[in-house]
Amino acid sequence: MKEQILNYLSRMDLLQKIDILHVVEIIFAILITASLTFFIWGKLKPETNLKELKSRTNSWWVMVFLFIAAVLLDRMITFPALALLSFVAFRELYSMIGFRDVDRRPIFWAFLAIPVQYYLAYIGWYELFIIFIPVWMFLFIPVRMVIAGETTGIIKSMASLQWSLMITVYGLSHLAYFLALPEATNLSEGKSFINGGQGLLLFVVFLTEINDVLQFMWGKMLGKHKITPSVSPNKTWEGFIGGVLSTTVISYFIGFLTPLTDMQVVLGGFIIGCTGFFGDIVMSAIKRDIGVKDTGSTIPGHGGVLDRIDSLTYTAPIFFHFVYYIVF
Amino acid sequence: MKRIVLILSYGYLIRYFLRIIVGVKCSDTSFLKKEKQFILIANHNSHLDAMSIMASMPKSIVHNVRPVAAQDYFGKTKRQEWFSNYFINTLLIQRKHDKSSIQDSPMHKMDEALKQGFSLIIFPEGSRGEPGVAQEFKAGVAMLLLQNPEIPYIPIYMKNMGKAMPKGDSLIVPHESTIVYGTPNKITHFTVDEILACMKQEMEVLRQSLENTKS
Repeated sequence: MKEQILNYLSRMDLLQKIDILHVVEIIFAILITASLTFFIWGKLKPETNLKELKSRTNSWWVMVFLFIAAVLLDRMITFPALALLSFVAFRELYSMIGFRDVDRRPIFWAFLAIPVQYYLAYIGWYELFIIFIPVWMFLFIPVRMVIAGETTGIIKSMASLQWSLMITVYGLSHLAYFLALPEATNLSEGKSFINGGQGLLLFVVFLTEINDVLQFMWGKMLGKHKITPSVSPNKTWEGFIGGVLSTTVISYFIGFLTPLTDMQVVLGGFIIGCTGFFGDIVMSAIKRDIGVKDTGSTIPGHGGVLDRIDSLTYTAPIFFHFVYYIVF
Repeated sequence: MKRIVLILSYGYLIRYFLRIIVGVKCSDTSFLKKEKQFILIANHNSHLDAMSIMASMPKSIVHNVRPVAAQDYFGKTKRQEWFSNYFINTLLIQRKHDKSSIQDSPMHKMDEALKQGFSLIIFPEGSRGEPGVAQEFKAGVAMLLLQNPEIPYIPIYMKNMGKAMPKGDSLIVPHESTIVYGTPNKITHFTVDEILACMKQEMEVLRQSLENTKS
């Protein structure tokens, strides 16, 4: 029994990949620093209100552990875990948008598309994975709505449902497809795909989240000129530029996770910085239109699940296709 | 045995199904443990209502709480009656009862259950109405409280339950929904109309508290 457990542990993906382990150490170092800073800050100046920042940091701890358990331990856990993430995000988004009562059955079919999409990623059927939602679900859902028979408001329902599926299921499922990528065929000299899809997955998720945090911090420190006054008044040019630049720099240092050359990694980091911001403001605009501040209250200090992964809905597919174009 | 089944299903199985899959969120309910006996008053939109309330309570008291439900709906056959009594712990009442028999009267049955020490979940609107539209409260709950003025009642407001599983549809489509508990109160008025008006008022306050947190 003991031997079996040891045997299983030694086969676990995380322990086999030294590079990934290094990045996990970095993540924990950042978290510990943040927690310590707020703790000491709170002791030195008890009058400052750190409740929000502390609850955010605590949530980060939970999210990091969940992420490691789901994504880095074993790829067999990753696919259902990411499917669950898509599921919760999709549920949050469609509940928030508000649909007609007659749309319940089309919505049920949209829910069923989630396991299918992730199964396609799991078996690595790229051709169908890449068209299942943009072609098949896109054509099927309107038909199901037409069968339901109510035409008033049908355009809005068709469009909103497809958009919700695309952003929360199709976009995020690219994270899962990283793990189904075959051996890279178009590598530059001296580069290897040793960290595999997990390296790429960790790279894009880490950079996206750190980019969110950095844009927030730069904005707090230097922010003056509003970048999208009518959508998200807290966002500034200083935060955006500072965030993108620092994300790009960080991407250079953790480029060892990817099979890309230095030049390509830096370009990738730059793209993640910019598109992460776009994902963020797109979701902000949706929330503003509906008139809510957060998409939910699942994660203390952050809001709903969708509030946390809004940037990922953009960075995941974009970085995926960037890498796919270069090395496959 | 029944107690273990109830605790397992509402403490774990149904609880996590409702929270993770259906998306039911709930305010803190640990204060219920301090109340010896209570009557929960909730709005009614969905078959999920009773189960969601049961699943939102602390595990240790679930077996002691009985949702009051319609005999003509949940007890159509003996098997159905057994099923809902066993798994939902329902207290079935006759909505159209024989006026001459006291044993059959809903008031008598509910009073009996309270005397036995059970807490009750009552949907004063009677049947499930249109989603999001409040109906008039039936007088029964106020009469029951007048007979048992020492038992506190707790208003509960549920939002969007009817979107996950509306009336006349047996398909559950996951949809975010919220349960919010009010504070336990004992009746301060002594006529049926005043008690009902007071409850409606408290329910309305809960409803508005949900609107505010969302904006």
